[in-house]
Amino acid sequence: MCTGSPSSNGTQPEEDAGAPEQQQQQQQQQQQQEQPQTEQSLGLRTPTHAIVGAATAEEILEEYGSTLKLLECNSQVAELLTILRDKNTTRSDFKFYADRLIRLVIEESLNQLPYTDCDVETPTGAIYEGLKYRSGNCGVSIIRSGEAMEQGLRDCCRSIRIGKILVESDANTHEARVVYARFPDDIGSRQVLLMYPIMSTGNTVLQAVNVLREHGVPEKCIILSNLFCTPAAARTVVNAFPKLKILTSELHPVAPNHFGQKYFGTD
Amino acid sequence: MSSITFLCSKSNEANNNPKGRIATNSINSSNNNNNNNNHNNSVKSKVKVAAAAVAVSAAAAAAVPPPVVTKTNGHIDDRSDVTEQLYIDPGAGGGELNCCPASPTTVPAKSALESPMRGPSGRRQRTRTTSIGNQTTTANPSECIIRANNRTIYTAGRPPWYNCAGQQVEPFVIGICGGSASGKTTVAEKIIESLDVPWVTLLSMDCFYKILNEKQHEQALLNEYNFDHPDAFDIELLIDVLTKLKEGRKVEVPVYNFVTHGRESQTKTMYGANVIIFEGILTFHSPEVLKLLDMKIFVDTDPDIRLARRLKRDISQRGRDLKGVLKQYLNMVKPSYANYIAPTMAHADIIVPRGGENKVAIHLIVQHVHTQLQLRGFKLRETLANSYKDQPMPESLHLIHPTPQIKGLHTFIRCKNTSRDEFIFYSKRLIRLVIEYALSLFPFKQTTVETPQGVLYEGKRMASRKICGVSILRAGETMEQAVCDVCKDIRIGKILIQTNLKTGEPELYYLRLPKDIKDYKVILMDATVATGAAAMMAIRVLLDHDVPEENIILASLLMAEIGVHSIAYAFPKVKIVTSALDPEINSKFYVIPGIGNFGDRYFGTEPSDEY
Repeated sequence: MCTGSPSSNGTQPEEDAGAPEQQQQQQQQQQQQEQPQTEQSLGLRTPTHAIVGAATAEEILEEYGSTLKLLECNSQVAELLTILRDKNTTRSDFKFYADRLIRLVIEESLNQLPYTDCDVETPTGAIYEGLKYRSGNCGVSIIRSGEAMEQGLRDCCRSIRIGKILVESDANTHEARVVYARFPDDIGSRQVLLMYPIMSTGNTVLQAVNVLREHGVPEKCIILSNLFCTPAAARTVVNAFPKLKILTSELHPVAPNHFGQKYFGTD
Repeated sequence: MSSITFLCSKSNEANNNPKGRIATNSINSSNNNNNNNNHNNSVKSKVKVAAAAVAVSAAAAAAVPPPVVTKTNGHIDDRSDVTEQLYIDPGAGGGELNCCPASPTTVPAKSALESPMRGPSGRRQRTRTTSIGNQTTTANPSECIIRANNRTIYTAGRPPWYNCAGQQVEPFVIGICGGSASGKTTVAEKIIESLDVPWVTLLSMDCFYKILNEKQHEQALLNEYNFDHPDAFDIELLIDVLTKLKEGRKVEVPVYNFVTHGRESQTKTMYGANVIIFEGILTFHSPEVLKLLDMKIFVDTDPDIRLARRLKRDISQRGRDLKGVLKQYLNMVKPSYANYIAPTMAHADIIVPRGGENKVAIHLIVQHVHTQLQLRGFKLRETLANSYKDQPMPESLHLIHPTPQIKGLHTFIRCKNTSRDEFIFYSKRLIRLVIEYALSLFPFKQTTVETPQGVLYEGKRMASRKICGVSILRAGETMEQAVCDVCKDIRIGKILIQTNLKTGEPELYYLRLPKDIKDYKVILMDATVATGAAAMMAIRVLLDHDVPEENIILASLLMAEIGVHSIAYAFPKVKIVTSALDPEINSKFYVIPGIGNFGDRYFGTEPSDEY
């Protein structure tokens, strides 16, 4: 039985050397708050102590501002999350339910895109006051796990352009480095849907956003679609890019890092 | 063996085989589990008997090939998993007039005066709606077909059997009693014919013979088992079936096999109807059964005539000898009549002498039934359209949060200039969201799972994995794919309901549901809900299959407020899910501003002229 020594923190590697000092302090505080719970759960595995609760919508708004949005967590979404978390889920089930969740997250992300009012005439001759999305959006997936979300995007927007970024993180220092990026030429004038399902430190996403900015995409035109996010990662990204919109389905201290492995079957 | 004779008399020449094998069941228009075709030799004539079931309306029908009712649709489904019901065009059938069903038959009956529609081949046809007018199939156009623009619609579905509050209207139960060969069935036929009520169920007491043991079986073979005695019937089962029918619920009626003197493993599925006619030799014997009957008719025919009929039937149709028939009559049939049947005449409301020939008596009966039915009333749609103005939306309505995305999708599918390709794509997206949302309304339970990261995770799982989808054809079918996409291996039932363009009422044509649907949570799907009449009928069908009201979710892309009110009022526990709510419906029951005819736009069957 582990008594919860604060030194060993396997799930929360140190991150983001470039962030301001203040932010690091916040992160550390936060990690300290989380650690006892995490450690206990690693050791004890008794439901009463070990379960780590997710944050509520109000807390998120208070802590991270309006740029971070959480998918409305109804029972159905909760079930999807549960299945994806469960280590006994088969690969076939995992992929099936991951795709469902991705579809929901993508649909919700599309809600963040700009639109204009548009009235149309219905077959009955009446007028429907609808709206129309502007064209000129594109998706960018972060290789590899981000590619799992491409199909979901394709299912919603059939002919959308999709760029890719490969970010490698050093196994020892956890420092992320962009090694490959390919975008549509006019990406600077588009709304960008950045897809990356798991954020445990936020480093990868920071690097990806930096690349996008180098290609002339304004911060406010980037929407990050994410499935699982740790509070630390959320804070990192929000602090680094306050105008970036983030959409995730869950904020939870423990990220399901097995996602890419299990989805693509490379365990 | 008198009752065997009795039965035989009711089947037609199919029973002429010398071994005396008898038709003990018939395909009725509501056939289920029909893999009992060829199940037993004794069943081989059932198809012909079925012809008689529908023959009531086909006065002029000549002898026709045996209609095959259910095997024509080419479905390859596992039959054991489903119950199926087909609603047959009443006029389309043919058969001999002097035969009638020897086992329960649900007949969508119509008067012969309504000039029955018959296909060119004279065979019965499945009722269906076709979007392309097929001139050749209707050599004899009649009131049973309505042509609107390019469409041909066969209007022989089942009209509403509940009132506008969704409550079951109790059917009118007529009991017909009388000695064997007294002409009970003829009377029943004549009543059905003259009633002109769209939906009549005919139940025969012969279905409720007890299963014989070995000794009794031997007696039966020697013509020494008394089939005319009250003890020969399973009265408890009879009461159970009749009570359920009276409640409008689905029942499984046993099929009695007169060769094995046991029940077939397959049963006949019957539904409640506007009018139920129950006939048999001992109909009035049990006091409990008497209580269930709204009207009691005794057919009193002279014993000499009855004996003459029996002799004729047994000898000419079954190859029996005079001596045997007479012995049987004197030893069992006659004493039983005197002891058990004749005394029950005292219970009768009406005694009909001379049986089916007595036109005055039948006319009086029909008039009375009409009066009773009018008191119960079945007009629906118009009533629905004019109630519930300016009331707050009911609690059972779950409207998906109108995000820009939802609105954007609606803009695409509502616009009349949207191409079908885009229409299908965007409606599919919207349907997916509706279904995902609908799923979240099912009950969930807390659960804790272990994660690969070593922490426990507190989450939720659906309380029951038993979910099935039921789509209301045709537009509801468009939503099936989405249900299959979100639930692995989900079972899908189908209900075909069409609006009768003449009356504006919905009519039920076809029904195919998972067998044990009562154990399932049901997502009922229809693309649009205007007055809610079709949805109500579908819900009513589910309730009749014992699905609890709270287990039903009605999912739809677009609803009119009126429809929501009607459904919520009639079935307050049914959860209603939709992605948009429109305020009005027009005189043709289209939602305004609406989508137009969703099914037509999705499947590309729009009529050339506009709405």
